[in-house]
Amino acid sequence: MSPRPPTLRENRRYILARVEPAGTVIDQKELYYAIADAVTSLWGDAAGGIIMQAVVTAEEGHVIIRCLRGTERELAIALSTVTACRDTRLALRIVAASGTMESLRERIRVQKEQAPGEPVPGPDGSLTDKKEILITRCNGQKVDVIEKGFKNAHRLFVTRSDLENS
Amino acid sequence: MKITDAAVYPYPCGDTTVRRFALEAKALGFDSIVAMDTPAGSFDGVEVFSGITIQDALVKDVISRVKRVRDTGTVVSVCARDNGFNRAVIGQKGVHIIRGIHAADKNAFDHVTAKMAADNGVAMDIDLSVLINSRGASRQRAIHRYHDVLVFERRYGFPVTLSSHARSYLDLRAVREITGLCSLIGMDDAGVEKALGAVGRITTPPQPAVRVVS
Repeated sequence: MSPRPPTLRENRRYILARVEPAGTVIDQKELYYAIADAVTSLWGDAAGGIIMQAVVTAEEGHVIIRCLRGTERELAIALSTVTACRDTRLALRIVAASGTMESLRERIRVQKEQAPGEPVPGPDGSLTDKKEILITRCNGQKVDVIEKGFKNAHRLFVTRSDLENS
Repeated sequence: MKITDAAVYPYPCGDTTVRRFALEAKALGFDSIVAMDTPAGSFDGVEVFSGITIQDALVKDVISRVKRVRDTGTVVSVCARDNGFNRAVIGQKGVHIIRGIHAADKNAFDHVTAKMAADNGVAMDIDLSVLINSRGASRQRAIHRYHDVLVFERRYGFPVTLSSHARSYLDLRAVREITGLCSLIGMDDAGVEKALGAVGRITTPPQPAVRVVS
């Protein structure tokens, strides 16, 4: 279909969502399929066709998702049911909705400036069961670790206090 | 009124420690959480209530376990089963929340049970993890069941709690997201606000109906 003139185009809205856990590598296409699955299973194909969701960009731990104006609420509810992207567990925390992508990019810049800073090496320590752990990410009080077990490794989410107290 | 998530499962049941849960819950707009099998405390301004869940137990076992934790401030939850069990449990002093009503028998919760719950101040729990994680028929069944519970709630006025049953902080949802999810089951914003504050009300001992003034 040829592009419509601006006055005949449908109005879009853009939703900015933060991807957690931090540092998750997002494949834009896989995330699109995860969101499409969530929208379809919650609202059905008919409503999904009206929402017309699309992952516009995935950068710096944030994603911008496009939808038709007036369907933001439905898309936001569906986004809260997204729990995984392929085999990677994640959560999408909605930060803002806007009519332009530029204002959302500005929000990303502001959030980045307000962040506690560059990840610093975390404290050494172990949890109460004395299993060996490897610190993968440290951001303020929040520390993500990998607990090495006998057979496999588990990702754990702790705080600095947990490591210091144990 | 404290905004409370009525059930989270910290490490070692889940992959997130109770302190991290408190930190994330604060960022998502909660004032307190009920952490299962975890001592009570306060972390980063978020109050952590201790909670236990009793499941697959006979009524006499429920009674004995409730007696053990009575007056300790622990939030006691019992998993729903058939109608007779639910009525017996709701009548017990010290039981705060009935959970898993979506997975119980079709007739597990009726108007008599609803009235008993209202009289005894026992809350019915709405498990948001079912709405988030399930797909297809199981989610539809849960939505239908919660619709029924809310019909009784409007008629009899028993408390309703909302819980994420999070085993990871990734399973927690912000208050705004919970409001959206609860709109799926016909709960309005005021209802969500009331339900999020219900844990504080059910754990507070009731005011005596008659006060002696000397």
